Amino acid sequence: MSAKPKVAFFDFTSCEGCQLTVIDSLQTHPEILDVIDIVCFREAMSEKGDDYQIAFIEGSCTRPSDEPVMKAIRDRAELVVALGACAHLGGINAIRNRFDLDDVRQYVYGDKAEWYETYQARPIKDVIPIDAVLPGCPIDRREFVAALKALLQGRAIQIPDYPVCVECKLKENICVYLRGKTCLGPITRAGCDAICPTYGDGCEGCRGLIPDPNIDSLKQILSEHGLNPEETLAKMTLFLNYQTMEREAVDDG
Amino acid sequence: MSFKVIPKVAMPEWIERLCTGYRVVGPKPLHGQHIFGDIQSAVELDLGYPTTVIPPKKYLLPQREELIRFKTDGSQVHVETVIEAKPTVVLGIHTCDLHAIQLLDRVFQQGYSDQHYQAHRENTYLVSIECLQPCIPHSFCKSMGTLSVTNGFDLHLTDIGDDYAVDIETKKGARLLDGFSAARDVTDEDYRLFNRVLSDKWARFPLRLDFDITELPSLLSVSYENKLWDELGERCLACGMCTNVCPTCYCFNVTDEVDFTLSAGQRTRVWDSCQLDKFATVSGGHNFRASRAQRQRHRFFRKGKYQMETYGLLGCVGCGRCGQACLADINMVDTLNDLYHRHANDRE
Repeated sequence: MSAKPKVAFFDFTSCEGCQLTVIDSLQTHPEILDVIDIVCFREAMSEKGDDYQIAFIEGSCTRPSDEPVMKAIRDRAELVVALGACAHLGGINAIRNRFDLDDVRQYVYGDKAEWYETYQARPIKDVIPIDAVLPGCPIDRREFVAALKALLQGRAIQIPDYPVCVECKLKENICVYLRGKTCLGPITRAGCDAICPTYGDGCEGCRGLIPDPNIDSLKQILSEHGLNPEETLAKMTLFLNYQTMEREAVDDG
Repeated sequence: MSFKVIPKVAMPEWIERLCTGYRVVGPKPLHGQHIFGDIQSAVELDLGYPTTVIPPKKYLLPQREELIRFKTDGSQVHVETVIEAKPTVVLGIHTCDLHAIQLLDRVFQQGYSDQHYQAHRENTYLVSIECLQPCIPHSFCKSMGTLSVTNGFDLHLTDIGDDYAVDIETKKGARLLDGFSAARDVTDEDYRLFNRVLSDKWARFPLRLDFDITELPSLLSVSYENKLWDELGERCLACGMCTNVCPTCYCFNVTDEVDFTLSAGQRTRVWDSCQLDKFATVSGGHNFRASRAQRQRHRFFRKGKYQMETYGLLGCVGCGRCGQACLADINMVDTLNDLYHRHANDRE
């Protein structure tokens, strides 16, 4: 690639923590700025350009007015990458999809509820076609850096298709189940270097399900480790609610 | 080769001496389990450990290892082999794990010799220890014939009370005792204690397989279509823990990573697992072991049949780590006994 590719960052419903991780990556890898031109990044700069090849989108689609903005980005960009759990999975915003939306609006906004046009939270792939995903809450910095290199080489972004347990065991962590806790590591996509189990907490599933997860077996294991069905459902619907509801819709939840 | 005795009170001095010339590693406690890790002094070392999360094979085949560095100036590619192996003493290797290293030696040294493994192997001093008590409920070393060892180590320790009897098998092993005057010659009383400890230990270990291990390859041969594999496939999480904690598993993936110049980078190998969904996916996208049942069957066949056919040793040493790690409680002993009894019932 001769000229530096122009890159833009956008955010929808999210905490913008993934973009903070991008800014963090620019500090640890300043050479990134030698190889790409960032033309739009609200969290990091004032300039705004609308000529770009690669768009990174953080956040989920949670209201009708998000849709035309996302579609405009898709029209301009050659490549669209979903950045983080909200864009990838609907994120924790999708917890509300399990409840009556009027009740949710009332609970959050009280007597101003009718001011807000919010609807069910969706991953951006349900609104526009996307080319790649960087999972996680937040994204993993090393994975972002590796993804940029892949794009610069003209290669597809590779993310792991195996579960967190693999990275966890390679680090020789003591299994959190043996430390009296529960963990979604066996069904959750790796790539985070098992950061939560490494610090003694169970995985919450922020990177989404692996392909072909054995959820029935894991539910049995969670029950053997003392979780009642409500607690298991709560675990399966924190980051994974959108995927869980998709599975329930085809009777495979 | 020869025998010496190290008084337990002199162990701190021995380890201190070793630390001046070598990287010293051994079993140490962590959150109620044990791992092999770096040892700076004897207080960190726990030679009475039950088992470790990952076996000491990680010092011969690290979880992640840089193999080569490469760069190109556009016309030529320059490749530099990376071999980083510093002299390392591995203390307290259980005999099951030592048997496993004998298999790894055959895998990596027969035919095409793996120069990275070879470099680690030549720079690693294996100090094993005789197991005198059963370690974890899942272990079944006595059934596998790995409860003791006659060779393959540099030094082998046996706890004889106030002292360790030290079997010095190699010149490398003898070097670890160079100039260590507390290591004394063996007395008749030491031999008496040594023989008693060794003869007393066997009764403490249960035989846990219901059949003789020499029958395992043929038992598997007639069990390829058994329904048990589907039952295991229902429970298996395909998380790869069983293979990642296994002392004889050695499959790895190789990946290249470049820097931002896109003209230089390194090639790394990382442990892989036949239990993972995409392990057997080939170009074109076909996965020839797409189901968890097929992958579990493959694992048991590797351990109990294929390794024997290729390398002349069983691929399982009975350490029990896979059963202990498996959240779905898939373990060698129950599975192999179940297969044996199903087959026996089928014949009736």
